[in-house]
Amino acid sequence: MAAIEGLPEIEEEEDREILNPLLPMGRVKKILKMDRDIKKVNSEALHLITLSTQLFIEFLAERSRTAAVEKKRKVIKVEHLRSAARNHPPTSDFLLDCLPKPAQAKPSASATSRPLPDDAPPPLPPGARRIDDFFSKPSAGKQGTSEDGAATAC
Amino acid sequence: MAESIHINSGQGSMNGQDHLLPIANVGKIMKQALPQGAKISKEAKETMQECASEFIAFVTAEASEKCREGKRKTINGEDVICAFKTLGLDHYADAMQGYLYKYREHVEKSEVERHHNKSLQIDITDELSTVRRGSTSDKY
Repeated sequence: MAAIEGLPEIEEEEDREILNPLLPMGRVKKILKMDRDIKKVNSEALHLITLSTQLFIEFLAERSRTAAVEKKRKVIKVEHLRSAARNHPPTSDFLLDCLPKPAQAKPSASATSRPLPDDAPPPLPPGARRIDDFFSKPSAGKQGTSEDGAATAC
Repeated sequence: MAESIHINSGQGSMNGQDHLLPIANVGKIMKQALPQGAKISKEAKETMQECASEFIAFVTAEASEKCREGKRKTINGEDVICAFKTLGLDHYADAMQGYLYKYREHVEKSEVERHHNKSLQIDITDELSTVRRGSTSDKY
């Protein structure tokens, strides 16, 4: 392939890891259109949003694993996601920095979560929702918070 | 409580699942990012679904702002990249810029393939490396 100006020359695809979109773009589009202010999104924007969401999931998963390993746990659980999100400022910002403090969190909350910074949370952009519910939802409703965290059928 | 926003089956068959990405896809992406044999609780996957939707909403809202500032009605790739910079996700911005170049090049080259509904396969290893390098640092 011809080199793109400003970027290194692209090697043959078979020599490199090929990435297909691993997320359904139709669903991504549905999600972003839940914000009524969003009218039209072109194809390239949808691709970027889809791919960056994948990168975000990877990133948070890796960080969550780090949190789990630090606590000598083999199963990545919600509390590790919480720690990972809160320990990365750009991520915690867009999650509205509303992750519960350990004292306010459910009993199963991680004790390693850092306290929230003092600065005020940014204003809510349209369509954004607070992340509180995600991390504080009762975990005992569907399955026990056993250390193995084995997936059990609901 | 708030059952409508919490996952019950997690498999997309319940009412209200449309605001989430499929748990199978999310779980697969998580597993691929982790060492083989890593275990993830079902709740963690469900929480990740919610986080991903939050990410999408937040990035898109910011991109929409950029689009509005440009007095346009259709969000484009540049709006999304600008959004990442505004949100402090610069390594995403860099990765996506590269991806955008390649996407546009691919679109120009393979118009016919797109019309045949073939999924785009675009090599973004460089961009991923950029992101992964950025993600392993603890810059604040």
